Amino acid sequence: MTRVLAGHRLAIVVVCTAAIPAQDFGKAYAFAERAPASRLERTIDGLLPSIVKIHGASGLSTIDAAASGVIVSKDGHILTIDQILLQPERTRVVLFDGSVHQAELLPADERFGVRLLKIDPKALTSELRPLWPAPVDIQSGQFAISLGNCFRLAEFSEKVSATFGVVVGRANTALRYRMAEVKYDGDVILTDACNNPGHYGGGLFALDGRWLGLNLRLLDSKETNTMLSAAIPAIDLLPYLDEQLHGKRRAEAPAPAGKPWFGAMLFDQAGRQSPPAYVERVLPNSPAAQLALRADDMIVRLDDFSIRTCREFREILAKFQPGQKVKVTWKRGTQVLTGEVELATEPAK
Amino acid sequence: MLASFAFLLLPQDPLATVRAAETQRVALMASCAPAVCSVMSMDAPGGGSGVVFAPAGFVLTNYHVVGEPDKEWGPPKPPAGTDAEQAAWRAEHVPPGKRHYRNKKVGLPDGELYEAIVLGIDPGSDLAVLRLLPKRAGQTFAHRPLGDSDRLLVGEAVFAMGNPFSLATDFTPTVTAGIVSATHRYQPGSGDRMLVYPDCIQVDAPVNPGNSGGPLFNQRGEVVGINGRISIGDRGRVNVGVGFAIASNQIRNFLADLLAGRHTEHGTLDISAWFMTGGSADERKRGVFVQSLFGDSLAAKAGIALGDELLRFDGIEIRSANQLATLVGVLPAGAWVEVGYRPRTESGGFGDERAVVLPLSRLDTGSSRDGVDARLASRAERRLATAAIAASWPARSNSEAAVRWQCRAPDGMTFVAIAAGDQLRLERSGLVLVRDGDRGSFVRDKSGVRDANADEAELLRRFARAQPLLRAADATHLPEGALLTGGIHVLGAPAFRFELPGDGEAETWWFADGTPAGCVFRDPVRRAKVEWHLRGERVRVVIDGKLEPGWSGSMVAAVPFDPTLFARQP
Repeated sequence: MTRVLAGHRLAIVVVCTAAIPAQDFGKAYAFAERAPASRLERTIDGLLPSIVKIHGASGLSTIDAAASGVIVSKDGHILTIDQILLQPERTRVVLFDGSVHQAELLPADERFGVRLLKIDPKALTSELRPLWPAPVDIQSGQFAISLGNCFRLAEFSEKVSATFGVVVGRANTALRYRMAEVKYDGDVILTDACNNPGHYGGGLFALDGRWLGLNLRLLDSKETNTMLSAAIPAIDLLPYLDEQLHGKRRAEAPAPAGKPWFGAMLFDQAGRQSPPAYVERVLPNSPAAQLALRADDMIVRLDDFSIRTCREFREILAKFQPGQKVKVTWKRGTQVLTGEVELATEPAK
Repeated sequence: MLASFAFLLLPQDPLATVRAAETQRVALMASCAPAVCSVMSMDAPGGGSGVVFAPAGFVLTNYHVVGEPDKEWGPPKPPAGTDAEQAAWRAEHVPPGKRHYRNKKVGLPDGELYEAIVLGIDPGSDLAVLRLLPKRAGQTFAHRPLGDSDRLLVGEAVFAMGNPFSLATDFTPTVTAGIVSATHRYQPGSGDRMLVYPDCIQVDAPVNPGNSGGPLFNQRGEVVGINGRISIGDRGRVNVGVGFAIASNQIRNFLADLLAGRHTEHGTLDISAWFMTGGSADERKRGVFVQSLFGDSLAAKAGIALGDELLRFDGIEIRSANQLATLVGVLPAGAWVEVGYRPRTESGGFGDERAVVLPLSRLDTGSSRDGVDARLASRAERRLATAAIAASWPARSNSEAAVRWQCRAPDGMTFVAIAAGDQLRLERSGLVLVRDGDRGSFVRDKSGVRDANADEAELLRRFARAQPLLRAADATHLPEGALLTGGIHVLGAPAFRFELPGDGEAETWWFADGTPAGCVFRDPVRRAKVEWHLRGERVRVVIDGKLEPGWSGSMVAAVPFDPTLFARQP
């Protein structure tokens, strides 16, 4: 990791040696500071030691080579968003005191797209300050503090960035359909406390310091040119943390009751771009038949999800359960028709 | 977003407290708004922002808002008159230097558009100072003072004002509020003019194009930064909650140069440092080390060598190369600094800590190419600035009329010296030497009083150089005819340099609070240029650019005048 910080004659280069045993490099950045006074200042001051900077495998000094994490155990467990930069042997964690530690990767949680890292507690010179999710009633409009190393602005013992805002609301990321690269499709906390590259894996906190969520990548819609800052509710990650840290087995999810079936064959061609969801044929005794769909009807909506292509129809349909009622909107010529129907179970082939 | 969080302290009646806080916030912002201005060029679209920081109409903004001097623009033209009158006008109103700025247009929130003269520029860290041309005699401008940016803390509520996207055509500023996201951020330079932000404040208050040059206010309505830069993500050149403001305390270090119309020069140690983090078992392998340095640099001449470990900069412990860049980056060239280091030994270990005191060299920002670096404002402008600075000082009276300090004679002996007027007294364990101006010198010891011999007279003459120091330390107001000529860093604090009428070399230096900071004069004995750096009780003497060890480190104090001290008969 090499970074030239100033051009011309004053070139200052930050270098990490290859072997990285931990060491104490002092408590904090060496500028004199006044004591925190307001509630917000005190809360941030108290939380900062629990947030780490993460560096991993990626291009030299590119933004995405950095992320953030939250310490969750005194034994050196750190929770972060799982991402490509986290590679075995190449993931390093920088603690609040500026010490650098090689991190071991624990198994990721596929559903939430999060991963625990583990640093060697024997190498620590000061006690870690772990945080733990607690049930929090998250209200729209409540204040929120977001902590993380956005744009990799902080190095070593420099403090990560703090942004402040409110919880805008809670939403299901399924709503973000067509938004790029959101692995997770559950509930998220939306906030206007800004989230930027490198901030991911940091924490979202209430004004009193309670841990609300783990910062996600920006929810990004190329279509509407909007980006939303969001976090996974920390409490939702408890089963994963309990499993990894305390060996508790998670309750098995009930077996899926078969795939949902609508019964409309679409005019789907192979190709790079999926065509609009035109019906080619309606199968008898199917939900589509109950709605009296016909060939050449174009399906444009399932519940609140707009459908533009055959692929989207298949993907959205897969989110429903057999037996679930769904509102279907379709276009016939210049008419727009709607109807509600109960989805069936896909018949065996 | 809420800018004041006072109401969060568990109120009895939440809504009443919220309303009170809002009223307070609205009043605060309303009181700041009149000082915030829009800065525009005559010939280019778009524009930036600025803030009036002195009642005489001095405006701080970004260098990148002001831009380069106009190539086609000549010096100001004198009014019609005789040749002699025009020559006199030129001497007063035409700044030296080859290239000139066209006046800028500056809109104030009262809806009025003013012309403004471009004074100093600081391309190295993206600052510029303008002066509004008043529309009527004696006009003063609403202003907000600079605050103390080192008091800022992460989480502290701040707000930005300015004219983003040139939204306001009537120049009423846009307010955006947020918190301090981080302090002491180092942001490397961009563009061929450097524009380094060595010690900036990171804020989540939205800062957008057009906000550049506008103020960042704290909750006391003081200017704690100048918003100039944002980090952007994938959303194009608009805010993503990461804005950077140039810290007010960094601005203070260059303010004198900017008011005097200079092109500031930033300092450098001419050292590349590297930061090693590994090897806890091996004490020698962590820390900040000299990776390369120029053989002819002042640091090398002072004794710093490759591989040495850098420990302290002006008394502050160096913890990373980034921090060293921040510490050096806010200082002007010529600032004397103390560097603590451990020299590398031949065996690969390190020797004991040493300290050297050296001036920072000039950082080449690539701007000397186009001849704008020799800038200085016209005498008329500097006269206005001088008056404005002196007017900001509190009235001081001085009951002390003598100065006492410790000095070391060439033989290494230390004297306590007391000077008043042209009288000087040196005292050491029962031995007293007195020089009564040019009227004669005498020596008093156990055996009585006698005239000074040649050696003793020479010693007294040598320390009689303290007379200008006395005048400086004793002064309560700026001498007649003093004219602002630039800035100087004196023992860790920025000061104003004023030239004195006469040979053109004599200067008097003053801190922003109106206390004396030292002086420059030509020593009549040694024909050398002598600088006295004076701060509190500390003194540093620089003779012809070299530190004078006999004086430096002495403690100085103003004391009451006691005529018996200089009397031949006690």
